[in-house]
Amino acid sequence: MKKIMISGLIVLLIAPGLFGQELTGEEIIQKVNDQFNVDTSYAKSKMTITTSSGQKRTFISESWSKDKGEKNLVRYLEPARVKGQAVLMLNNADDIWMYFPRTQRVRKLASHAKKQKMQGSDFSYEDMGGGDAFIEEFTTKRLEDEKMERHDCYKLELTRKPDSDSSYSRLIIWVVKENFVPIVIDYYDEDDPDYHLKRLVQSNLRVIDGIPTAMKAVMHNKNDNTQTEMEILEVKFNVTLDDTMFTERELKK
Amino acid sequence: MKKGIILLVATLFTLSSLFAQKGVDIFGYYESQASGAQVQDDFWLLYSNKLRVDLKSSLSDKVTFAANFDYITYHGKTMWNILDFLPDQAVAEVPPGMEDYYVLPFSDRHFLDNAYIKLSFKYFDLTAGKQQISLGTGYVWNPTDVFNIKELFDPTYEQPGHNAVRLDVPLGTAYTFTALFSPEDNWQNSAKLAQLKGRISHFDYAITAIEKVWLFHDYTQFDPANMSFLELPEKRQLLGASTAGELLGLGVWAEYAYNWMENSDDFYELVVGTDYTFNFQTYLMIEYYRNTLGKTDYMDYKLNDWMRLMAMEQKAITRDQVYVSIQHPATDLLNVGLSAIYSISDKSTALVPTLSYSFSDNVEIFAYLNFNFGQEGKAFSKKMGNGGLIRVRVYF
Repeated sequence: MKKIMISGLIVLLIAPGLFGQELTGEEIIQKVNDQFNVDTSYAKSKMTITTSSGQKRTFISESWSKDKGEKNLVRYLEPARVKGQAVLMLNNADDIWMYFPRTQRVRKLASHAKKQKMQGSDFSYEDMGGGDAFIEEFTTKRLEDEKMERHDCYKLELTRKPDSDSSYSRLIIWVVKENFVPIVIDYYDEDDPDYHLKRLVQSNLRVIDGIPTAMKAVMHNKNDNTQTEMEILEVKFNVTLDDTMFTERELKK
Repeated sequence: MKKGIILLVATLFTLSSLFAQKGVDIFGYYESQASGAQVQDDFWLLYSNKLRVDLKSSLSDKVTFAANFDYITYHGKTMWNILDFLPDQAVAEVPPGMEDYYVLPFSDRHFLDNAYIKLSFKYFDLTAGKQQISLGTGYVWNPTDVFNIKELFDPTYEQPGHNAVRLDVPLGTAYTFTALFSPEDNWQNSAKLAQLKGRISHFDYAITAIEKVWLFHDYTQFDPANMSFLELPEKRQLLGASTAGELLGLGVWAEYAYNWMENSDDFYELVVGTDYTFNFQTYLMIEYYRNTLGKTDYMDYKLNDWMRLMAMEQKAITRDQVYVSIQHPATDLLNVGLSAIYSISDKSTALVPTLSYSFSDNVEIFAYLNFNFGQEGKAFSKKMGNGGLIRVRVYF
């Protein structure tokens, strides 16, 4: 299954001819998809979970991505409790392996595990995967344009395809017209398309290596009244990464 | 004892300041644990404190050194007589005058658990020293793992290191060949392992061959020369296979091993498991385990069977078992669960409610209770002691 990528690594590669044209929903989502699926990338991120009682948990991780998000490796640096834990996702997160350094065990996870919260956060493994999820898993309809987070946006409704095993029945996405950044995404329950589960808001856009990048993403869980902030501390695009980086050998390093 | 702890702490601080300059990572945890069990009309309590200090250094891209040192102290009821937990039928086999030999002491200990150097070359990795060896895909039981036996009520607890030389040769990105040699007093008695591991479609596969001397004891005979029960070493040759993947949306895994024994009867072990995460975040796992070394009739459980099980020399006393576990994040920081272990062979059950709580970024609390419902003589009999455990762990 293709994954819904929430990465802040938003690439601006707008074809000049597209400006001023009336785009269909499918064309807009294709642009969004093309933009955030960078060939290769490296990022160091800080994830802060705020619980419903106001307590905070902070994680720092490094991640490497290749083949437009088809291969991903995430390794935790902090806190000490999870240091060295790593997750390898291949085939757009259809295949996931987790490595636990204290037992030196690698565990293969089935796709249902992608519904699980990543380190207890409001992001699931599915949210963090890469690839062409918007295209492969959903059909897109363009709704009436709206202003969102002070940006003029295209508003899209993505409805899950019948053969998809995505955990979301539909998504509403606000895409900034200027740079095709999906600035806000609303996620709806797998079984109830009217039940609003969570909202992602991306912000702090910066140009990194010539690429506009959302340095901050906040996922708010409406159901649990919790939120998780993902902040990019360091990011590099189009870095040289060998395929051997995405193997069990590297996972256990 | 106090002197030892002070010396250890001083050494750690000295080492940490020295190593910090040379790029050595120092980390680990401190763990305080209380466990208890109902034994007849009494409730026994055992407390332990464990300090684990890990060192890890990448001396270069090709050389990694890692080690960990464990210091454990025990308090409370530190002498447990195993016979108190066994059925009368098994106790009756104890030779007269030998009752005191069945006492399990919990003595303070400190040891180098792991210490190895890993050399990474372009085409292979070579790891030499005391290291963890984790084999198989099973969650509670691993038929192909002849080096470790997991704790039934706490199967994810870390396993001890084993002295070995290990060679891992990646064959492309999807396959790995592993050869391992775990030395004993001579070549014949040393453990040898060869494994081919790979990936086909969405499934991982491994074929494993192992030769190892399995050290049993005869718990009805005492060897005065060694001041221990009589050792019965026996060569074991194992051929096994394991897989893990996904079928119809369910996580599935299986593990099988056939064992050729030098003297006693050959036997096999089989694990089949499945798991699933529901949309409401509840996780369900079921694992079936067969071990033909286990007995089908609980009336056949002998003193040696019980003692080998307690001493973790063999994985099961009963032939067929099922492990069911359900876990749910009750809040962002609190996970609750319930595990049940059912012996299909003797129809006894143990229930294990669990709880894990994230107290802060680096502090976690884990607790479980265990209730046995079987009648005396069965694998999970009430006489085995209902009880529980609470553990607080602080990582640094």
